[in-house]
Amino acid sequence: MTKKYFDVAVIGGGLLGSSFAYGFGQAGLSVALIDEGDNAIRTARGNFGLVWVQGKGEGMREYARWSRKSADGWANFSAQLSELTSHDLGYHQSGGFNISLDEAELQQYLRMLEGLKADAGEEGYEYELVQGRTLAKYLPGIGEDVAGATYCPHDGHVNPLYLLRALQEGFSKHGGCYLPLSSIDQIQPLKSSGFELLSEGRQVASCERLVIAAGHGSVGLGQQVGIRIPIYPEQGQIIVTERSTEQLAYPTNMIRQTDEGTFMLGASARDVGFNSETTTDTLQDIVRRCASAFPNLRSLRIQRNWAALRIMTPDGFPIYSQSEEFPGAFAFSCHSGVTLAAVHAQDVCRWVVDGKIPVDYQCFGPERFDVSTAD
Amino acid sequence: MTTQLPLCDVAVIGAGPAGLTAACELAESGRNVVVLDEQGAPGGQIYKGVEKVFADRPQDIGPLGREYAAGKALMSRFRQSGAHYQPGVSVWQITSDQEPELALGLIENGLARMLYPKHLILATGAMERPTPFEGWTLPGVMTVGAAQTLLKSSRLLPEDDVVLAGTGPLLYLYAMQLKKFGIRPQAILDTGPPLSLRASLLGLRALMTCPKAMFQGMRWLWSAAVKMNLIRGVDLLKAQGENHLRSVSFEVGGHRHELSTSLLLVHDGVIPNTWLSMSAGIKHHFNEIQDCWVPQIQGAGLTSRDCISIVGDAASIGGAEVAMLQGERVAREVDAYLEDHQRSETLIESWVLRRQRWMRSFIDEAFPSTAQFQLPENDIVVCRCEEVTAGEIRTVTERGCMGPNQGKAFTRCGMGPCMGRKCGLTVSRLMAQVRGVSVQEVGHYRIRSPIRPITVGQLADMESSLNGDNQSLLSADSS
Amino acid sequence: MFRLRTNSTDPVTFSFEGHEFTASRGDTVAAALLGSGVFIFRNSAVSSTPRAPFCMIGNCYECFVQVEAMGIVQACLTEVTEGMQITKLSNSIDEHGMDIKEVSKE
Repeated sequence: MTKKYFDVAVIGGGLLGSSFAYGFGQAGLSVALIDEGDNAIRTARGNFGLVWVQGKGEGMREYARWSRKSADGWANFSAQLSELTSHDLGYHQSGGFNISLDEAELQQYLRMLEGLKADAGEEGYEYELVQGRTLAKYLPGIGEDVAGATYCPHDGHVNPLYLLRALQEGFSKHGGCYLPLSSIDQIQPLKSSGFELLSEGRQVASCERLVIAAGHGSVGLGQQVGIRIPIYPEQGQIIVTERSTEQLAYPTNMIRQTDEGTFMLGASARDVGFNSETTTDTLQDIVRRCASAFPNLRSLRIQRNWAALRIMTPDGFPIYSQSEEFPGAFAFSCHSGVTLAAVHAQDVCRWVVDGKIPVDYQCFGPERFDVSTAD
Repeated sequence: MTTQLPLCDVAVIGAGPAGLTAACELAESGRNVVVLDEQGAPGGQIYKGVEKVFADRPQDIGPLGREYAAGKALMSRFRQSGAHYQPGVSVWQITSDQEPELALGLIENGLARMLYPKHLILATGAMERPTPFEGWTLPGVMTVGAAQTLLKSSRLLPEDDVVLAGTGPLLYLYAMQLKKFGIRPQAILDTGPPLSLRASLLGLRALMTCPKAMFQGMRWLWSAAVKMNLIRGVDLLKAQGENHLRSVSFEVGGHRHELSTSLLLVHDGVIPNTWLSMSAGIKHHFNEIQDCWVPQIQGAGLTSRDCISIVGDAASIGGAEVAMLQGERVAREVDAYLEDHQRSETLIESWVLRRQRWMRSFIDEAFPSTAQFQLPENDIVVCRCEEVTAGEIRTVTERGCMGPNQGKAFTRCGMGPCMGRKCGLTVSRLMAQVRGVSVQEVGHYRIRSPIRPITVGQLADMESSLNGDNQSLLSADSS
Repeated sequence: MFRLRTNSTDPVTFSFEGHEFTASRGDTVAAALLGSGVFIFRNSAVSSTPRAPFCMIGNCYECFVQVEAMGIVQACLTEVTEGMQITKLSNSIDEHGMDIKEVSKE
């Protein structure tokens, strides 16, 4: 198995890697999905589960468009994956709300949305300000002091763990080869084309095309094929409560309810290096904000807190790159692995098959961070 | 009146023999010690309710046994030691080494607060090894430890149809206590193997060095065999009933038997309660002989975190006498550390402790964990909270799931309220079995706070931590 | 399942699901309920099957009950007090399970 030569090898079994592996499998290619072990960083564990369009792309219109494209294709993507694996993903797209607790927050957010709307021009940008009694109708139990919320019909949510599981099963069903417990530390380009991947001297796989989607591990791997990936860890803490009969019909930026009935509370971001321990003050921030938004949450038992190291790029937008020195090697990193799963599995896989990232998407290349490159 | 001081020299979690002894030693030498106990009165499990028994029910002292009664002296010493006793307090969090200070998150009477000790001693004792088998989630199936707790701290006795099942000294100790209260269990179903040659040899050594304890144990076994319907070589235990337990069935020598009963008490040995120590990021390793995770200890009670020590059954199963001896050693170690912040590992183990270790080796060998429980059949529910079966665990492992944490993501196993206390050991074992590797390699659940229940409101209302170094930036973009 | 050895010398009255019972001062809620003949404390979250205390030391999390003024507690770690009002969990999942309702936009 390990001596086999694959059409494409994906390094990284998280949300990005699994989306790509599934997509390549769907396209009929032979795929190896290479993964680390149970106690690695595992950024995917920090996913909140939002499939989100609202508020994305301030400063880069292409990203707003990209998020919208993925959200539009998500229903199809979910249906196909569900059917193939007989697993429910818990995907719902009934729109979502961004809650602003106080007036200042609300005004700032509205200004941002207006800017995005202006950027969008004729393409349009939908959102709606909802307040007072109307808001209470859609989000029963919303705190009386909440300034307001903005609704976007394109937002939705999914169970990120079910998504990951389905992607890996879908990949498996397409004949993909899963190679866990293999932390790749050496990429050796082969003479004519293709690459050999080694872990501690052991040959793990060989491939024609290589996709690096290894979360924080991408930095070091990218270097080996001449790709610069300026990403850094952003610690996100999440709280999940016990199951509840309270009902929250729509996902929001800080709270969503899972199909099991538990509530996920989040929206924290800290720059603390590679520290995946929760901290009391951040947890308190999260519960205080969420309790202000929905006072009924106060009586719910906290089931678990955890922290994960999400991917953050200097401007918050994805980094999609290909190696010039070693054609056929690609690296993809982004913060919103859940939202973009649909386009990753379809569009991005096609780029790799075609051998190049289309001109339209070169705005996501790491060159944009080079100060020396003049516009 | 409990003190609500947020600061102290030493916090001790657990009021059993180990924690109380350490607390006494440290308080008596002038340290400011707080003992946090989630029970209402000191004594832990082994001396549970001993003060009350002496005060209100002295007639029970005899039946509960001499070892139990010996706890009274320790309680008296503790009450006079100057240590601050805080009953009814649950610890829901120990801050990680990434936070600026060591802090404990506590819940008392529904209110959350923080405590900032210079040093922490974990004396959380033992828990019973999980015992998954068919029907174990039925009302009417409990552990022997549970029934013993009820014996010591309430007026509840099992009815005469009670059936005991499993293996280990506690099973026989409890049977003896029942006998003294006039109850004869319907049967004692022993799931253990016959005594091996190695066990016999270890037993001889233990007999020479701890004759009193060994003779007592042999007396219990003989009594159970002759007077209490002891059945050996029991396999394929099942609890049956619709909404609660109605009967128990089992096999001996290939023949199936059935007993009608409303209460089944099971026991498969005790293991360290590592949930707090794991949540604090302390390193653990898997002890194959004792078949459980144990914290890595240096010296008497030093761990991979300088400010945290572990003592008693929480460090390694040894019983009350060992717990008290270790409590003394750990107290001296902690005192030295508080003095000059140097880890001193020069404390030599006493002969008494070594003798006890030999006793422990014999017990480990003579009462191994029961295969039926530790590697259950596919249709048995392993995770009580999320109702995940052994079969599901084996399947995801075969499909490439590498460890219990990823298993959580794929099956929800371990994500329920008990946070893996009742399934963790079994899950690691099952995965090790499928992958053909050691349990050590498979690993264990990553344990996170809260360790005890706390609500959103309780955490929100808690006064902010001493260090207001708040770096949180709330991002609107989270997907 | 269990029977009481003696009558209580220091009785405490409490209620469970509206019914009045007696226990002894110092009993845990779990012991008080078991001693009063309550053998099913709640239903499991996933399949709604009946559950009762298993370990009595706070490790199995089967004995959750709701206590007025205290909220949700583990019965084996909570002492019963005079006049305590105990009920089964009020936000337990109903037997038909959870479903996210989608409010239609008018």
